[in-house]
Amino acid sequence: MAVGFVGCNEDVATVPVASIRVDNLTADPTTGFNPNTGAPIGTTGKFTFFSFKTGQVVPDSASTSWDLGFRATTIIVNSPTSGPGTTQAQIVSGIFDEILEAPLDGYKSDNKNAVIKNAIPTGAGNGWYTAEGGGPSSPTIIRPIAGKVIIVKTTEGRYAKLEILSYYKDAPANLTGTEPSRYYTFRYVFQPGDTRSFNQ
Amino acid sequence: MDGDSLKTKELESVVVTATRNERTLGLLPMPVSLIPKSTINIMGSLRLNDVLTEQTGLVVVPQVNGQGNGIQLQGLNPDYTLILVDGEPIIGRYTGSLELSRIAVGNIKQIEIVKGPSSSLYGSDALAGVINIITEKPKGTKVTTALRYGTNNTLDANADLSLTKGKLGVYVFGNRYHTDGYDLSPQNYGQTVSPFTNYTLNSRINYKINSSTDLNMTGRFFTEDQVFRFEVESNGNFTRTAGNGNTHDWNFNPVLTHRFSNRFKTAVRFYTTRYKTETNLSLPDGSPYYRDDFKQTFTRPEVNAEYFFNDRNILTLGAGHIKETVQTSRYGDAQVREQETSYGFFQHEWQPYEKLSIIAGGRQDHNSVYGSQFSPKLSSRYEINKKLTLKISGGRGFKAPDFRQVYFNFNNSAGGGYSVLGTEVAASRLAELDAAGQIDAYLFDPALLGQLQAERSFAINAGAQATLCQSLTMDVNIFHNSINNLIETQAVAITKSGQSIYSYRNIQRAYTQGLESNFAYPVAKHLSLSIGYQLLYAKDKDVAKSVRDGNVYARDPSTLVTQRLKPSEYFGLYNRSRHTGNVKLFYSNKEKGLEASLRVIYRGKYGIGDIRGNIQGEVVPSSDLNSNSILDTDDNFVQGYFLTNISVAKIWKPGIRTQVGIDNLFNHTEPIFIPNLPGRLLYASVSYSISQKNVKQ
Repeated sequence: MAVGFVGCNEDVATVPVASIRVDNLTADPTTGFNPNTGAPIGTTGKFTFFSFKTGQVVPDSASTSWDLGFRATTIIVNSPTSGPGTTQAQIVSGIFDEILEAPLDGYKSDNKNAVIKNAIPTGAGNGWYTAEGGGPSSPTIIRPIAGKVIIVKTTEGRYAKLEILSYYKDAPANLTGTEPSRYYTFRYVFQPGDTRSFNQ
Repeated sequence: MDGDSLKTKELESVVVTATRNERTLGLLPMPVSLIPKSTINIMGSLRLNDVLTEQTGLVVVPQVNGQGNGIQLQGLNPDYTLILVDGEPIIGRYTGSLELSRIAVGNIKQIEIVKGPSSSLYGSDALAGVINIITEKPKGTKVTTALRYGTNNTLDANADLSLTKGKLGVYVFGNRYHTDGYDLSPQNYGQTVSPFTNYTLNSRINYKINSSTDLNMTGRFFTEDQVFRFEVESNGNFTRTAGNGNTHDWNFNPVLTHRFSNRFKTAVRFYTTRYKTETNLSLPDGSPYYRDDFKQTFTRPEVNAEYFFNDRNILTLGAGHIKETVQTSRYGDAQVREQETSYGFFQHEWQPYEKLSIIAGGRQDHNSVYGSQFSPKLSSRYEINKKLTLKISGGRGFKAPDFRQVYFNFNNSAGGGYSVLGTEVAASRLAELDAAGQIDAYLFDPALLGQLQAERSFAINAGAQATLCQSLTMDVNIFHNSINNLIETQAVAITKSGQSIYSYRNIQRAYTQGLESNFAYPVAKHLSLSIGYQLLYAKDKDVAKSVRDGNVYARDPSTLVTQRLKPSEYFGLYNRSRHTGNVKLFYSNKEKGLEASLRVIYRGKYGIGDIRGNIQGEVVPSSDLNSNSILDTDDNFVQGYFLTNISVAKIWKPGIRTQVGIDNLFNHTEPIFIPNLPGRLLYASVSYSISQKNVKQ
C-alpha cells in the first residue's frame, strides 16, 4: 500500500512575516517657527528611539534596546558614535513586499568621523527623502522616495526592513507643506529568528 | 493673398538667416519660416513675444521667476535659441533666457525663424534654432505715426521716418510703450506684472559709397522703468517693500559691404552692445531692503566673404572675435568677469543637379572658459517634382556655460535656505566654510567639480513640402535633438545649520523629438486658412533608462502602496506640452481696404516643475504626487488651454489705417501657473503715414 508522505517542508507555502504599521511616531515636532529667525519653536532636540523587537518607543537612549532614532528628517542607528549598540543599516531600492531577504553585506554604521556620517544619509535626495520647494510661495515638502527600503541589522544580529510612508501627521494625501511635520508613518517587518529571510 | 495662399508667398520670399546670405526661402534645405510685416500688422502685436507665441512649434514660457517671457523651440528651453536683430545678438540673459518684451515690433520688416542647430554659422546658443529679426531699411521718403490704446491702460506710440536722397538713406524709429500691468491675484498685495514704461529708439543709415561699396550703420537705444510693490514673507512675517527696476541697453552696428566683382562679395561688421539692469527695493521706512544689478557688454568684429564659383557653387567664409564681460552683485563681488571667443566658419552651397542642392558647413569656436567647439552641419534638398520637395538637415549645436554657472555666489536664506556656487568659486568658498567648521557633510567631492564644458547637441530635421490639390500646401518636419552635457545643479554639501550647497556639473542628457506640420489653404478669394500642429516628446535620457530598467517607483498618495513605474507612464521634462497647435484665418481685401484675422492657439497640458514659487502670496501646488521626483502621468499638470485672438482693420485713403482687436477673447487665465498670461485685452489703434509720390521703391 503506497502511503503519501504528508508534512514535508517543501510543500508548505512560504508565508512572509506580517508587516506592522506605525502611525504618527513623533520625531521632535515643532509648535511653530520663530518669526525673526525661522528657527523652529517647541522642539527639544531629542531623538525618539524605536525598537523593532518590541515595536515600541524606548525612552532610554543609553541602552542597546533601541535600533533607530528619529529627529526631524535625521534617522540615526544605535552605533557606534550615536549609541552603545552595534546596529547597522542600509538603503536598498525595491518594492517593500518583494524584498524577501535582507542582503548579506553593505551595511553601514553611524560614524561622526567619516565623510558620510550617517548609515542612513542625511540631506534631501541623498537618503530616504526628497525636499521640494523652499520659498515663500512653496513651503518645503518632504516626501519619502518611492521605492526606498531601509534594511536594519540590529545589535542582536536580527534583520528588519522598513518603509517610510509619510513625514506628516496622519499621512495626508495632497501635501502642501504646511501640514504638521515630524510625524513618521512607516511600516516594517522584523525577523526575530536567526535568518536573513523575511519569511516565517 | 488673392489666389495664392500665404504659404506660397512665403516660399518665394528672400531670407538671410539660413545661410547668412540672401536666398529664396522655398529653396532652402532646412526648416525656415517667415513672418512678414503684413502678418504682424494684422495680428496687432506690440512686442516680440506676442508675435512668436502664435507660431507653430514655438511656445512662450515664463522665465525662471515666473516673470517675463522666453521662447521654447522644439521643446528646448529659451536658453538654447539665439535671438538676433539684423544678424547680431541681443544680450542681457541674466537669468539665462532673453526677455522678449524688450523688442518692439513697429520697425520689424520680417522675422526669420530657422529651426535646428545653427551653431555651424552662429556659434553658441544656436542649439534649438535662430530667430532673426530683420528691421526696416530706408525706403523712399515716408513718415508714419501710430498710436494704440488698450486694456490695462496700455498705450503704445510709434513714429518712424524714412528718407532717401541720392546715395544716402536714413530710417529712424521711435517707440514709447506703457502699461499699468495687471493683477491676477487681487487678494494679494502687489501686482502679478507691475507697471512699466519703455522707450526704444532705432536708427539706420545707408550710404552708397560707390556702385560696389555700401556702408550700413544701425544703432539702438532702449530703456525701461518698472515700479514694484512686493510683499516679502520670511518665517511667517510679512514685510511690504516697494521700489523700482531699470533696464537699458544700446548697440551700434556698422557694416561695410564691398563687391569686388560679380562673383565676390565681402562684408566687414562691427557690433558693440551694452546691457544693464538694476533693482532697488526699500522697506516702508525708506531703508534699503534689496539691491541687485547686472551689467553685460559684448563686442564683436567679423569679416565674411561670399564667392560664387558659378551658379551652382557658392562658398561663404567668415571669421571673428568676441569679447564679453559681466559685472554683477550676484557673483559675490564687483569684479568684472571676461570671456573671449575666436571663431571661423565656412559654408559651401552646391547644386549638382537642378533638383538637388546640398549645403555643408562648419564653425570652429575657441573660448577662454570652455575651450574649443566644432559645429558641423549638412543639409540637402531634393525636388521630386513641382509639387513635392524633400529636405533633410543634420548638425551639431552647442551652448557655452552661462556666467551664472561659472561665477554664481548666491545665498538664499529664506525658507529652507540654500546656496548656489558657480564652478569657479565653489572650491574656494567650500574651503572657507570648512575652515570655519561650517560644513556638516559633503555630498559630492568638490575636487571633482572641475571646469564646466559647453552643452552639446546633435540633431536631425527631415521633412517634406507638398502642394496638394488646388493650392493646398503642406509641410511636415520630423525632428530629433539629442543633448548631452546638460548643466544641472548638483548638491555638494550641507552646512551645520542644515542648508544645502549646490554647484553645477555637466551631467544631464536629454532628447526632444517630434513632428511639426503646417497646412495652408486659400479658402476663398480673400480668405486664407492655416493650421499648424506639433507633437513633442522631451525626456531625460537617464531617467528614461532607469524607468525601462525598472528602477523607478511611484507611491500612490492615498493608499501609500508603492509600485514600479512603467515606461509609458514617464511623461518627460517639465513645462513641455505633448501637443500644441494653431488655426488661423486671415482675410485681406485690398480693393475694399479691409483686413481681419481670427487666430486660435492651443497649448496642451504640461508638467508644473520649477515654476513653483513664482506668484505672490499663493501657494503653488507641487508637481510630484507620487514621490518619485520625475514627471509621470499621475502627477499634477497645468491643464491645456485655448487662446483666441481676433482683429479687424480698415485702410482709409490716404494712408490712414484703423484697427480694433481682442486678444484672449475668452479671458483664459491661470494666475498660479501662467503669470505671464493676462486676461482679455481689448485695443484700438490708428496709424497715419505720408509718403512722397514718385519714389523708387
